[in-house]
Amino acid sequence: MSTHAEPVGWTGRVRRAVWEAYPPERLLPDDQPAYVSSWVYVFGVLTLASLISVVSSGIVLVIFGPAWWHVSSVGHFVNSLHLWSAEMFFFFMAVHLWGKFFMAAWRGRRALTWMVGAICFLASIATAFTGYLSQQNFDSQWIGTQAKDGLNASGVGAYFNVLNVGQMLVWHVILLPLALILLVSAHILLVRRRGVCPPLPAAEPREPAAEDPDYPRSPDPAAEWSGAKRRYDLIKELVSALGVVVLVTVVLSALFSSPDPKAVTAARWANANPADFLTTAVSELDRTSGTATYGPPYTHTPGAGQTIVDSLSLQRLVGVHIPIDTAQAFVLTPLSIGSKNNPPLAKALASYSSASPAQRRAWTSAYTKALDGVTFRDGAPVITPGNYGPVALMMRDLLAQAQSGGLDGALVATSHFYQTDYTKPLLFFSDGAYLENLAAQDNLLGDQWGMMNETGNYPGQAWLWLYTFWYQVPPLKTSDNADAQIWAIMALLSLGLVLVPFLPGVRSLPRHLRVYRVIWRDYYRRAEATRESPHFVVRQ
Amino acid sequence: MIGLLAVACSQLVGALGSLDGKPRYIHHGWFQISVANLVVIVLMIVVFVLALFLRFPGERDKR
Repeated sequence: MSTHAEPVGWTGRVRRAVWEAYPPERLLPDDQPAYVSSWVYVFGVLTLASLISVVSSGIVLVIFGPAWWHVSSVGHFVNSLHLWSAEMFFFFMAVHLWGKFFMAAWRGRRALTWMVGAICFLASIATAFTGYLSQQNFDSQWIGTQAKDGLNASGVGAYFNVLNVGQMLVWHVILLPLALILLVSAHILLVRRRGVCPPLPAAEPREPAAEDPDYPRSPDPAAEWSGAKRRYDLIKELVSALGVVVLVTVVLSALFSSPDPKAVTAARWANANPADFLTTAVSELDRTSGTATYGPPYTHTPGAGQTIVDSLSLQRLVGVHIPIDTAQAFVLTPLSIGSKNNPPLAKALASYSSASPAQRRAWTSAYTKALDGVTFRDGAPVITPGNYGPVALMMRDLLAQAQSGGLDGALVATSHFYQTDYTKPLLFFSDGAYLENLAAQDNLLGDQWGMMNETGNYPGQAWLWLYTFWYQVPPLKTSDNADAQIWAIMALLSLGLVLVPFLPGVRSLPRHLRVYRVIWRDYYRRAEATRESPHFVVRQ
Repeated sequence: MIGLLAVACSQLVGALGSLDGKPRYIHHGWFQISVANLVVIVLMIVVFVLALFLRFPGERDKR
C-alpha cells in the first residue's frame, strides 16, 4: 500500500493525515527513550486496565439488568467487582495525575494531552456519581436527595434530574461511559502522537541561549528523543497491568463484598416513625414543607432559589421545569385512589377541597400542634380532640395507606406503564427526619464530610474531598447559598485543573518542588557521569 | 461454575472481612474522615512514594 501517492478526495486526505500522525511504529512502539525507567510511568496503564475492568463488570451488570445484583449472589459479586474496579480506577488515576504533575508533563506541545486527561478525570467523577445514583438502595436515595441541591443551585438540576433513576441509569450505562471511553482514547492517541515527556533540564536553563553553540543544552520537550532506548512491549504491559488489577479486584470483592443498604420506602418510614411521617405529610398538605417552598425547579415560590453573588441566581434563571404541587402529589392524589371504596374518606376529601384556604390552614395548623402529643394504637394515630375538620381522617388514612405499601405505588404512578422517575417519593422522604436520621448514623450528612463517605466501613468517594471540604469552611458553612457558591468555586477549580499548563506559578511548581529529580534520577546521573549531550532531534 | 465458586469464596472470606459493621471514623474538631477513606488516601501516598524510590527493572538498553 502506498502512502506517498497524492491523496484523492476527503477520504484520501484523512487517510494520509492519520498515516502521518500515527505510523505503526509510533502507535505500537517496541522501544522507548531510556529515561522512561521509573515506576511512576506505570500508573497510566494501570488506570487503563482498571477502566477495562470497570467496563467489563459493568457490561455484565447491564446484561442482567439493574435489579439483578440485589437478588442474586452472583450478581452481588459482579457488583462488588464493579465497585472495587472503580475504586482502583480512581486510585491509579489520582496517582497518575500526581506523577504527570510532578513531571510537568504538559511541556513540549503536550498541553492538550494534559487537558484531555484532566477532562477524563472530571468525566470519571460524573460517571461514578451517576453509578451511585443508579444503585436503587438507600445509598442512591440519600446521595440523590443531597446532590439535587447543588445541581439545582447551578441550574443543571432542571434537566439533569438526579432523582429520576431511569435518566441517571441511561447516563451511567451509555452516555457517560461512551464519552469517557472516547476521551481516554483521545488521551492515549495524544500520548502516542507527542511521545513520552522528556526530563526537565538538569539545571535552570540560561537565558537567552540561542547564540550558544551547544544550544539546546537541555532537553527540548518538543524534540524527539534519538538517544539511548530501552525495549518496550505495550501490549505485554497492558496485559500484565490487567492481570494485576483483576487479581486485586477479585481478592477485594471476595474479602469485602459491596454495600447494599436497604432502600427507604414510605411503608418502612410510616411503620418505623409514624409521627414523623404524619408531621411531614401535613406539611405537604398545607404547602409549608421544604419541597413546597423550594423554588425552582419544583415550585414558583417568590424569592426562593440560591444565588452565587448578589442577585445572580442560575436556579431562578432556569425556572420551574419539574413542577410539583406537594398537596396534590403527596397527599390528595394518593388518597383519592383509596377513596373510591371508602365513602368517609371521599367525603373528607370533598370537604377539604370545598373549604376556604384560611379554613384549611386552621385545620392543618391545629392538627400539626396536636401531633406533638400523638400516640399510636394498632398503628393508627391517637390525638387529643380538636377542630381538625377532615384533616385527621385524611392523615389517618394516608398513614394506613403508607403502612400497607399502597402509597409507594401511588407516589410513582403516572399515566405510563413503566415507572422510572422517583422524584416525588424522594422529595417527600427528604422532607421528613427519618431519611436524614438514617444518614446521620452512617456519617453521611454534610457537616460529617458525608459526600466522601460510604455506608458501613467501605471506602467512599475520597476524590470528592475538596468538594465536601468547602461545606466545613465559614462563611460557606452557614451560607444559605452554600450549594450555589461551592458549585461556582468547584467549577473554577476544575477549570484551573484543566488549564494548569497555562497558569503562571502553578505550571512552574514542579520545577520548584524538584520531585522530578527523583523520577529521572538515572537520566541525570548518567548525563552528569558521561557529560553527554542529550539526544534529541526536532520532530518534523 | 466459576461464578458459584467465586460466590462461595466471597461468602467464606466475607465473614472474616465484612465492612458492613459499625462505621469507624476519626474525628478531630471540624475534621472528620472514615478509617476506610484514610486507608485509601494513605495507600495512594505510599504507592506513589514507593514508585518514586523503587528501582525500575529491565535496564536492557539498545541504541
